Formats: sequence, structure tokens, C-alpha cells
Amino acid sequence: MLNYIWAALIISSFGFALVSDIHDLQTDRYRNNRPLAMEVRFTRAEDAKAEHADVDVTVRSDAYRLWSGGNETPDLTGKALLTQTAEGPVLQFAKDAALPPLLATIRDVTAKESKQLIARVQPLQFTNNTAATTNATFAPVRWVKIAAITSAAFDFAKKAVELAISLIGVLAMWLGLMRIAEASGLIAVFVKVVQPFLRPLFPEVPRDHPALGMIALNLSANMLGLGNAATPMGIKAMEELQKLNPSTDTATNPMVMLLALNTASIQLVPPAALVAIMGIESAKLFVPILGVTTMCAILAALVTKLLGRLPGYRKSDPNLIPA
Amino acid sequence: MRDAIEIFSLFVLPTFIIFLPLYGLFKRVPVYEQFVVGAREGFTTAVNIIPYLVAILFAMAMFSASGAMDMLTDLLRPAMQAIGIPAEILPMALIRPLTGSGSQGVLLDMVQRYGANSFFVHIAGTIYASTETTFYVLAVYFGAVNIKKTRHALPAGLIADAAGVILAVWLVRWLVH
Repeated sequence: MLNYIWAALIISSFGFALVSDIHDLQTDRYRNNRPLAMEVRFTRAEDAKAEHADVDVTVRSDAYRLWSGGNETPDLTGKALLTQTAEGPVLQFAKDAALPPLLATIRDVTAKESKQLIARVQPLQFTNNTAATTNATFAPVRWVKIAAITSAAFDFAKKAVELAISLIGVLAMWLGLMRIAEASGLIAVFVKVVQPFLRPLFPEVPRDHPALGMIALNLSANMLGLGNAATPMGIKAMEELQKLNPSTDTATNPMVMLLALNTASIQLVPPAALVAIMGIESAKLFVPILGVTTMCAILAALVTKLLGRLPGYRKSDPNLIPA
Repeated sequence: MRDAIEIFSLFVLPTFIIFLPLYGLFKRVPVYEQFVVGAREGFTTAVNIIPYLVAILFAMAMFSASGAMDMLTDLLRPAMQAIGIPAEILPMALIRPLTGSGSQGVLLDMVQRYGANSFFVHIAGTIYASTETTFYVLAVYFGAVNIKKTRHALPAGLIADAAGVILAVWLVRWLVH
């Protein structure tokens, strides 16, 4: 199943990106090569003939609306550098120029590094010594999503490794502490306490096996929202379960159950990110979160048990395959 | 009650970290030596996870960068509204199992668009807190022990995620609004 879903995500993302980009081209979303009327103002009259000059650019609201095809915006003003090149004058907008969404997107795509929007302009029509009008066109923007999925793929391949490497420290610390707990016999004591509750969910795990202790620690850390303790304990629990697994590459029923209970875990403490994003408002969600997660955890356990009984999944169960 | 739980969750880790070596000493375990032996596994485990994490994260990132979320939201809107799920929360429901940072971005976006005290943000926040990044958890936990054939783990996780979305809508409607 994971094989198909994984491949489907990759293949379909190309399809979605292609459809989205073709739609953008058909509707001319980025107004490629369409001139936008603007006014350029020099600070001094002699700047008008200079090769480089700092200018103030104004785009009138009605001109912008005509160009962009709709959106209400106030008059836009911003600083830019006007340079005379062999192919005509070029405007380079300042880095902090406040741009409306469409122009901001064009800037993000065409000037990814410098964040300075570049416009080719027609020769200036001077209205007086320091002011002129002109028409500007921006570098054409095409195939935005195709470029986006490509860079997302490479960015996240890199990020995955950074993430795994950043886990080393926390993992090492917890696995070290767990080793002390095992050596001192603490896990064995803990297993005795939790096994009446956990054995019904993990009947394949033998009585008094340390895996039950690790599972209980992992699930409790999860409930308390202690992410950086829950993950190492879950991994440790998986390692204990793997010791009981006759197969090297196929998940056993208790492993699937542990995973299901981790993806649908009771939350007594809402995640820190929720509080950070929603602020004090997140307090109202305490009861709904507790309710949803409790029901989800029960449901996940039931669904896992039921799915495990399907003939297809029974056939792949490493514990049922004669060695 | 809530304060008690939060204080408990604040104290449980330091207590745990201090208690383990203390109990070990009491049981005459060479605590430092045992710690180092255990900690050594941290490196190999993390390195084991890498191929699984790369596979999952790059596929998820491609999918969310492709604009699929917007299109799927439009596509699923009528069906979802028929069963009483507001279309505004669909981006959160769709992205939550795929990426953690992506779903935080969606939540932040919704807070700015609808306000933190709105019905939609309450539902989205509940979904965010109640369900996990299923694909990431799968990669990390199974990757650590080199399990490639995940059997019914993904279907079970995704069914729980879907149930979480429906329950979040119901409970927020019933308890908060």
C-alpha cells in the first residue's frame, strides 16, 4: 500500500503542477510581456541623463488595475535604481519595496536571490525636468509550479538528513538513560505494572517482556506532549519489538499497533506550536482535543485489530508464516 | 485540573532524568558506563532513519508544492459540505498527515484570514493538535528498525486521521460554538 501511495504522491504532484501552470498560462496570470504604465521621478534634473540614477516610481491605482485585471490597490510608490543599458533603460526596485501580491510573486520567481524586482522600461517620456512616464514589462513568469516541485524535492531531501542528524543527540541521551533503566531492573518493575493494561492490545508480546515497558513510556510521553522524549522511547520500543520479529523487513501486529497508537495518541497537553500560533484562544480547545484524541485512540486500536484480521494482512503476518 | 496536568508535564522530564541515575546507583549499576553503551545506539539509529525520511519528506514536499491542496479542496468541497464538514478546513485536513511544518503554515494562514476566535480556526487547531504527521511517524519508527513492509499501519493511521477530522468538526460545533 505504501508503495502505491508513495508513487502516487510523486507522480500526481507532477500532474497537479502541470495543470496549474497551464491554467496560469491560459489565464495569463502573470501578465507576461504586458506593459504596465508608471511614473518615474528624479531627485535632481541632471540625474535624468545619468547612467545610474535613484528614482521614485509611482504606479497609479487605475493603471495597476487595468494591467492586473481586477484587484483594488492604492497608488503604489517605491524606490528604484534606473540604469541605462544597451537594450534600453532598466528599473531595479529596492529590496524592501512594498509590492502587491502579483508583483511580489513575479519578484519571488524572477529574482529569487536578490529580491529586487526588475523591469525593462520604454524610453522615458519627460513631462518636465524631473518627471517622466513610461511603460514597464517584467521578465516572463512561466512553469512556476514545475520549478517549485523540483526545488521542493531537493530541499526536503536535504532537510530530511538534517532532521535525522539533529535527532542524534536527543536519541543518544534517551537511549543512554533507557539503558540505565534496563540495567537497574526498573523496566522490569514497570512492565509488571503496565502489562495488565497493555497485554490486550499487544497479545503477541510475551509476558514480562521489556518491550511493554518501552511502549508504556512512549505512550505516556506522547500523552503529555513530550515530543523529544516520546520519539526516542518509541524507537526503543520498536527495537524491542523487532527482537521478537521473525522477519527482518516486515512489520508485526504489535509494531503496527504501536504506530497506530502513536499517530492517534491521547493528548493531555496541547502541542506547544498550537499555543504559539493561536495564543490564549487555544485554551478553549482543551476539551475538544481531549475528546477527539481519546475517541481516535480507541478507534485506531479497533481499526488496527480489525484490519489485522483481513486475509491479506494475515497472510503477510511474519508471526504466522512458517519459518 | 489543566494547570495540574501542565505542571506535571513540566516536572516529569527533569524528575525522570534525575531519578534514573539515582535508582541505578542505588542498584549498584555502573551508570556512566551503561549510559555510554546505550547512547552509542543513538547515532546508528538516526543514520538508519535517513533513507526512509528522505523518501517520505521529498515526496510530501513535492506534493504540497504542486498546488494539489488548492485543487483537491475545490474538488472535494461539495462532497465535504454534504457531510457537514466546512470546506475552509479542508487544507488542514489534507496537509496534516503529510507535513508538520506545512500544517503549521496552514493554521497560521487561517488565523490571519479568519481570526483566532473563529469557528474554522477552532476546528483546524483541534485537528492540528489531535492528529499526527502520520507519514513522518511511519518513516521514523519503522525506519529505525529497517521495516519496509508496513502492512496495515498506513491504512489504520489514515482512517484514524479521517475520523479525527470528522470528530473535531462535531466536538468543536457542540462544545465551543
